[in-house]
Amino acid sequence: MEISEERELHKAAQDIINQLSVILRTAQIHDPGNIAVVTAIEKFLLLIDLVTQTESQVKLEIVGEFFYLNDIRVRYPLEYLLNFDFLIREFKKREVGRVVFRNGIGSNDVQVFLRGFLAAGFSETPYETFTSVMIETDSIEIGSLKKIAEGTDADARKVIKRVYYHAVSFSQGVMTKIQAGEKVNIKKAKRIVESMVDHILEEEKLLIGMTSIKDYDEYTYHHSVNVSILSIALGQRLGLNKRILTELGLVALFHDIGKIEVPNDVLNKTTNFTEDEWKLIKKHPVWGLKAILKLRGLDNTSIRSAIVAFEHHLYYNLSGYPTVMKYGELDLYSRIVSLVDQYDAMTSARVYSRIPLSPDKALSIMMERAGSQLDPLLFKFFVNMVGVFPIGTLVMLDSKELGLVYESDVVFADRPRVMVIIDSKGEKVSGPVVNLTEKDATGRYLRSIMKTLDPNKYKVNLAEYLL
Amino acid sequence: METSDEIKEARDIVQTLLKAKKTLRMYPQNNPVYQKTLEDVNDRFREFFTYTGTLSLKIKQNSIFYEDEQVYSNPEKEDNLALFFFKDGLRELSFNKGLSREELEEFLRLIALDFDREAIDDDIVTLLWEKDFRNIQYVVDEAYLVDADAENYEQVAEEKLKEKVTDVNDLMRAYSDGFAEEDLKQISIVPLTDNDLQTLVKELEKDSGDKIDKLVSILFQLVHLAEQKSDFDDLALYCKDAITFAMKQGTISTVLDLMRRSREIIENQALPEDAKKNFRTLPFFLGADEIVGSLAEIFDSGVEIEEKVLEEYFLYLDKNAIEPLIKYLGELKTIRARRNIIQALIVLGKKDIHTVARGIEDQRWYVVRNIIYVLRKIGDRKAIEYLLKTIRHSDIRVRKEGIRTLGELGAREVIPALRECFGDPDIQIRIATAKAFGNIESEAAKRVILDQITAKEFREKDFEEKKEFFEVLSHWKDQEVFDFLLKILKSRFFFNRAKMFENKACAALCLGLLGNKDALPVLYEMRDSNNKLVSDFTGIAIKKLEYGN
Repeated sequence: MEISEERELHKAAQDIINQLSVILRTAQIHDPGNIAVVTAIEKFLLLIDLVTQTESQVKLEIVGEFFYLNDIRVRYPLEYLLNFDFLIREFKKREVGRVVFRNGIGSNDVQVFLRGFLAAGFSETPYETFTSVMIETDSIEIGSLKKIAEGTDADARKVIKRVYYHAVSFSQGVMTKIQAGEKVNIKKAKRIVESMVDHILEEEKLLIGMTSIKDYDEYTYHHSVNVSILSIALGQRLGLNKRILTELGLVALFHDIGKIEVPNDVLNKTTNFTEDEWKLIKKHPVWGLKAILKLRGLDNTSIRSAIVAFEHHLYYNLSGYPTVMKYGELDLYSRIVSLVDQYDAMTSARVYSRIPLSPDKALSIMMERAGSQLDPLLFKFFVNMVGVFPIGTLVMLDSKELGLVYESDVVFADRPRVMVIIDSKGEKVSGPVVNLTEKDATGRYLRSIMKTLDPNKYKVNLAEYLL
Repeated sequence: METSDEIKEARDIVQTLLKAKKTLRMYPQNNPVYQKTLEDVNDRFREFFTYTGTLSLKIKQNSIFYEDEQVYSNPEKEDNLALFFFKDGLRELSFNKGLSREELEEFLRLIALDFDREAIDDDIVTLLWEKDFRNIQYVVDEAYLVDADAENYEQVAEEKLKEKVTDVNDLMRAYSDGFAEEDLKQISIVPLTDNDLQTLVKELEKDSGDKIDKLVSILFQLVHLAEQKSDFDDLALYCKDAITFAMKQGTISTVLDLMRRSREIIENQALPEDAKKNFRTLPFFLGADEIVGSLAEIFDSGVEIEEKVLEEYFLYLDKNAIEPLIKYLGELKTIRARRNIIQALIVLGKKDIHTVARGIEDQRWYVVRNIIYVLRKIGDRKAIEYLLKTIRHSDIRVRKEGIRTLGELGAREVIPALRECFGDPDIQIRIATAKAFGNIESEAAKRVILDQITAKEFREKDFEEKKEFFEVLSHWKDQEVFDFLLKILKSRFFFNRAKMFENKACAALCLGLLGNKDALPVLYEMRDSNNKLVSDFTGIAIKKLEYGN
């Protein structure tokens, strides 16, 4: 297939998903025979026809949080984001993971599909209800949502862990090299970030999960990598492409580079900073800018890195530090990095701030800052990304189990996967990992979060459970 | 296909890849050799895919394997295809049946890049990653990314992190507090709206532009944040880097912004001299060969630049820019680009006429002619000593331009040298010389023209040349010239009548140009001359005097 054809197919795939979402949304409001629904179906059939001219069928599948059309992953275009999210959510609600539209499909077949879809929405056994209706057509076939096999999950976690530690180790190497006046291998940095981008595109939740495990001793290096990962993940939510995500990831990785100029005895001081010491700390954005400009010649990435190094402690309303005069608005990358930097710093134990905040507490403080210190729109995307209960949150379930949020759910933000660490009998356990979207035979959720607790207050070592 | 055939074909494909890697580097895309090489590789793949779905090559340091059989080996470092991939961590490269010609060409162009010579910030894996080929997959050894001394980093870090096991008592306390803690107050997820997405699209559009302007604005924040002299020294270096970058990107407006800001710094009374000193060197930096070279490239690229922008930019240039400007003047391809450089030289020549004037020593005639033009536009008589050399230049176009310019500069000292030009074998030069005298407009110049017209040999000149001389004479609208012309008009002759009538016709024309109506009675008399040339030109002169046209 020629590249241009491939692009056309990809665009057609985006249009099909969007149009299917339009049909389902319209059908939730109007009668199936309503002109709005009928017109939407006609448009949908034209799109399907376009693809079935060259392919025998259109197979739409959900893998993780993404749609695949005829085995090709479909990127979320920004203009369709809401419709994509809607479709994922509605499919998951009905436990549908696959729909196949065969050549020769007509509007009657789509009407059957609609009936099944609507009926399943009110059923306690949605998938079964859906399939019982779909018997009426041979042109559309549905398949159930596949659960991720535990074995695959474990392998994926191993790979993600390796990627994460490569990045941390590299970050440490960079700092050491700059301090020693040696050259930094930018090609290698790019490769590290590309690897992170790839894994965020495929396994976003796992890599974000790694950022919740904080290493007090190696804070600076972990922090740089965490900020890079969270920035890439947020960038992905904003619809940035792979190349831009790499640039953003690189820029974020170097955002705190100015700290190498802060004397170690200040950086590692265990008591509160004096006024003079704070003055030193506050110089790291300027030192960072200078370090990057001295590192290598100017190019687009080094320019953006320098800008972010300078701006990442400037707030949305231009307060913060360093003090600026007659200044325009902050760069988009700076606003992204500043936001995730705050989140990671607040949820980490640092030398000068021994008690970290729990992730949910950090989010609620950040919510108060949105609009003044933080970009409110980006914060909205961020909360949607990390969920109401970010990974590492200690939660009490209504099943009388105590657990740690293990993985967030993109569709059901308040129903993450949780690792049980004390069972309902009050005994310490290590697992299982339970999915809070699971329901019993009557359609009621098996478990819900009742309360959140601060894991730091009880000295819970997240690494023990999440690594 | 038999396995042995497959291996043979895989071996051939690797060889064609190696050949293509060299060829595509050497030839442009439209060259037949380039196209033929591409076709060869494509044909090889097509042949292979007739029987097999995937060509998967295992990469070792100095060899390449297909199906456990070595299909390529090279112990040398030079031109080693295996090492080329291996050094960046690539361990397996697979091509699938769907591989299109377009995809293949893009792949070949990547491997053909000269990574040693070109300033490429990416390795082959990054480039493959960015291309995201549908039918070319690769496997990378990520261990390449880890320094040898950090191989166990992951294991050590994990063990260390897990060392501190959570105390059961703490956990139990959490468990019991879980029942006692107040009810959950979670933050809510606010769903994204269409309005949010529209705002985001606007943000992303706004963000897609160049960031150099932003960096420049940050650099000038550093002026107020600087604490010691070295901070200002650094700042000047960064500004120079920003100028270099902006010029390579073709954003003159960014450089102007930077220069304006630097001028504000220099003029700021409140700032110490240390802060200003380095900014004073920026105009000199703008004149560096590299920067002027970038400027020339921008001009040649055909991009539209507002005249106002250019004028302001030229004002910031220092005289050190003159030599590089002259150098690039001779290398530019477009007229518009040369016109811009000439404009810059006109501005700069006012600061240093001698350096601009020395440009006439350039070996390229067209550069010399442009420099003469610049000198004429500057109008500084200090350039005369240089211009005098040009009237003996081997190229007629240079001589003509030089003579014209000397005439316009109009100094007494140019007269002897210019007079010599009447002896030039080329009629165009002699006419240009006459016009130059006309521009000088002094009495001495008039005398030279009158001498030329009254000289015996003038009669024999072409009519066209004579006419030009008389037209030049009309610059002096005085009685002497009037009388001189009337005398020619009234003169009688018996020999060489045709040539003498030419003189009369020219004199009539000149009288018309003088604008003195006293000439009309004589001209009326001549209107009915039997000589058609005389009668025609007299008619023209009368019309001019009577109606002013």
